Amino acid sequence: MDVPSKTVPQPVREARAGSHDGAARPSRRRGRLSIEIRQHASARLQGVVLAGGLLAGLTCAAAILLAAGVGLPNLVQEFVVSIVTSPESVAAVLVQGAPLAVVGLAAALAFRVRFWNIGIEGQMISGAIAATVVAIHDIGPPALRLPLMLAAAALGGSTWILGPVLLRLRIGLNEIISTLLLNYVAFNALLHLLYGPWRDPENNFPNSQLYEPFEQLAELGWQNLTWALPLAVALLLGGWWLLSVSRFGFLTRIAEANPRMGEAQGLPMTRVILAATLVSGALAGIAGFMICAGAEHRLTQSFASGYGFSGILIAFLARNSAPGVLVVALFVGTLFVAGQSLQVFYQIPASAVQLLQAVIVLCVAASDFFIRHRLRWLR
Amino acid sequence: MLLEFLTNWLAAVPGFVVPFALAALGLLLIEKAGVLSLGAEGFMLVGALAGIGAILGLGANPLAALLCAALAAILLSLLYAVLVVSLRVNQVIAGLSLVFLAQGLTGLIGTGAGWVNRPVDGLRPVSLPLLGDLPLVGPVLFRQDTVVYLTIPAFALVAWMLARTMVGLRLRAVGDGPDAADTAGIGVSATRYGAIAAGAALVGIAGGYLSVGIARIWVEGMTGGRGWIAIAIVIFARWRPWSALAGAVLFGAIEALIPRIAAAGIQVPQYFIAMIPYLATLVVMIWTCLRGGGGSMEPRALGRAHLREDR
Repeated sequence: MDVPSKTVPQPVREARAGSHDGAARPSRRRGRLSIEIRQHASARLQGVVLAGGLLAGLTCAAAILLAAGVGLPNLVQEFVVSIVTSPESVAAVLVQGAPLAVVGLAAALAFRVRFWNIGIEGQMISGAIAATVVAIHDIGPPALRLPLMLAAAALGGSTWILGPVLLRLRIGLNEIISTLLLNYVAFNALLHLLYGPWRDPENNFPNSQLYEPFEQLAELGWQNLTWALPLAVALLLGGWWLLSVSRFGFLTRIAEANPRMGEAQGLPMTRVILAATLVSGALAGIAGFMICAGAEHRLTQSFASGYGFSGILIAFLARNSAPGVLVVALFVGTLFVAGQSLQVFYQIPASAVQLLQAVIVLCVAASDFFIRHRLRWLR
Repeated sequence: MLLEFLTNWLAAVPGFVVPFALAALGLLLIEKAGVLSLGAEGFMLVGALAGIGAILGLGANPLAALLCAALAAILLSLLYAVLVVSLRVNQVIAGLSLVFLAQGLTGLIGTGAGWVNRPVDGLRPVSLPLLGDLPLVGPVLFRQDTVVYLTIPAFALVAWMLARTMVGLRLRAVGDGPDAADTAGIGVSATRYGAIAAGAALVGIAGGYLSVGIARIWVEGMTGGRGWIAIAIVIFARWRPWSALAGAVLFGAIEALIPRIAAAGIQVPQYFIAMIPYLATLVVMIWTCLRGGGGSMEPRALGRAHLREDR
């Protein structure tokens, strides 16, 4: 056997990345990207990725606003400084945030049971119409009028979602389309009422008469906050209890993960889905009532515009959890308030806020990729 | 009197059918490849804006404007394709967000460039020489604009492509069983990208036809839910091209009838009439579900993201 001589220097073979001894492969320096499904993502990773997605979304949004002609110092002023410093802005954010939080909770509740409730605006309109019926026809004594309007709004919103959820449970009709179409139907019904029987005789604008003072949510005394805010907080607490603490919340988790297994275990999955969606519709109706009785003091034609997608956005960013809904609702409220001042001072149209919201949602959704998949560079 | 009303109504129908038909055809292409396309409304909005923008901003002729509409929709669809095919984002969320993105984007660009409410010349009907003068059939079938004439050939082309060519076979394979298609060597992602782009082009042309051919003007949100109705048409047609055309004809007929009801003197509150297309869509969807799934050509992998490592 030949033993390599120790005196004659042998060329040292360097280990080269990407090449295998003996394998007939073209030598490649580059590796390849390997994508694997991640089995488990730690809460820290999820938080980091979510923050990254949010940051990317905000950067894109800022870039869009800069491209639309808003200068950078103005941007910082509107979105950061004045929100924090001026009491009017803080109050405006809270006033906007209350119905947004309720709408976000409505969406979160429905999404929890995998019911895509895109009809939030329609449910808000039905709720507001129902509350206005109580107000205009003077149903009930003045002391009970507001609670009756609240109950009517909840009932109106639930009724509007009842059709789609029954159709989905009974015949498997896709709820995205059905709830969405009912949006258009509700809006046309609203226009019919506001341009017709409920038109304000005093100024002939397409909105209803002003509500009586006892039909409006009373002010709290600071700025223009009304009882809508405590109502929203109460609903959020109730939502938190429902989703995270109660047995019902546990059942919704099963409905979200694997409803068929739930059925097989004998759990009332159908009833859980039905209950969750009806409460979702009721919440949307209450949000409509909050806007009409709290902020506008009458029924107008565009009070619900923009809240549908905002609700979806809030539920999505908050991952269907009640505390998350609170935080994200305040963030979206800030976006709305800043957007309004952008409209007034910089002639940015209202649709720009929608664009910014969509960009943020898409960036966060895209960042989900990094939570669900592990990327590795294989050589 | 009745004949006149009928001729009048039916002559207007093909114009209203085209947006539904082309949009449904484009959606069919996308969904046959297995990708849910809830962003249809977004593609239509972008197409509508680009069509008007090409005429007002570039001085293009109407057909070139439709081409621009298709290109704009393809651009938007690339974003959607990256999100849904490469990044495997939930297709429902991506589709809905795309619609709102398009609403915001078109609103921003349209009002910023000052294209709102400016009438354009647009597409004009082209009367075929002898056939256009036939009594009833003439105005209905042979006195329409170019896009209407090209719609049926487009349907024939897509139906033939899907059923009888290798390209169509690969597309259907990717939609029915992406794992098997992947094993057979078909590039799932590439095919889906192509299908999304091609489908979006058609939907964009449908949107462009709305603004350039029918309304000849642009306002924000002018598609008015037609994208959603097109999605419902595809479901109602059980993913068959010619059934989708039939559905589009139904909705085009309804939409052409709506202004004529009021003009004929029938007293119905106008907003209830405006609800009719949406209620009709609901009825059609309910009927589709009750009819059952027999004979459905639904792509079995619709809505599922494909990842080779997930087999």
